[in-house]
Amino acid sequence: MTNNPYRLLGIGLTFAGAIFVPVAYFVINSIPLTAIGLSSIMIGFTSITLATARPQISPEASQMILETGMENIAALLEELGLTRKAIYLPSSMRTGNAQALIPLGEGIDVQRIKGKIPRRLIVRYGDNPGDMAIAVTAPGGTNLNKMEIKPGPTSGEIEQAINYVLTGMLDLANSVEVRISEKQLYIEVIGPRLHYENVWYYRCMGSPIASIVASIASDGIGKPVTITEENYQNGKSVIQLEVLG
Amino acid sequence: MRIYNRYLLFLVLVSCLIDILLAFTHQTDIAVYFTVSVIAYLIITILFIYFSPKTRKALSLVSVIFLAGFMVVVVLKVMEVLGFK
Repeated sequence: MTNNPYRLLGIGLTFAGAIFVPVAYFVINSIPLTAIGLSSIMIGFTSITLATARPQISPEASQMILETGMENIAALLEELGLTRKAIYLPSSMRTGNAQALIPLGEGIDVQRIKGKIPRRLIVRYGDNPGDMAIAVTAPGGTNLNKMEIKPGPTSGEIEQAINYVLTGMLDLANSVEVRISEKQLYIEVIGPRLHYENVWYYRCMGSPIASIVASIASDGIGKPVTITEENYQNGKSVIQLEVLG
Repeated sequence: MRIYNRYLLFLVLVSCLIDILLAFTHQTDIAVYFTVSVIAYLIITILFIYFSPKTRKALSLVSVIFLAGFMVVVVLKVMEVLGFK
């Protein structure tokens, strides 16, 4: 509780301001210095408020839980030998949290997806016997339900939604820029705190940030998307998505 | 830079700027410093729209407290103008 830097900063600023205001006003008799003391108290209160709004769970614990979840899915993917890219589904094609489909056989033809995909691990998405896939909850998928406004199909609306989740809710990046070109989406995540690694899980599902981006973009456009490329260069992640169907 | 750090840094810079500008204009009324700072605070807080709902709720509470202080200053000024003080 006490080692939260925002709380320490807030207490320090408020305490210093509370001492400085009467000294500046009554002893030094300076209004500008008194105003600085007042500003210090205001910023101190704000910093304390930010500390209380931060989650109680430590970043290390969050990372551990994330890695455990990813390792479980990675073990499943490796055991089944699945190498195809995951397909992120919009809310109209799934039940519950954001889902990603990983085909068990050939690639998925999204036109064959019938109705909503149920909340099960192994799902049948079409009429053919081979239309089987693994359906997993996308990392950060639960956050999509907490969004007050659902994203729209324009690049501005998708950018706003991704910024809201990545910078505001999860604090995983500094900012996000989105460009749409026909069936492709180019997303630049500036200052990402999780990077791409060339491991089985990431090759199939994409990095956690790319998964969140793909889930939001899919919801916004209302069509399934897949992560076609992901690079990290000059302090930013460049994610390329392809709209399917 | 994380969004919380950016927000705090922005508040500090704007507060310093306001205090310096008002000091240069030889402003000697502490109520003016306070009201301008509160207005700037409220504007900056509204501009940071990407905060999580929990953070925005907490900051709204602080904003209400500062706004109450702002209203007290305004009421006192109005009373002064009307000759009640």
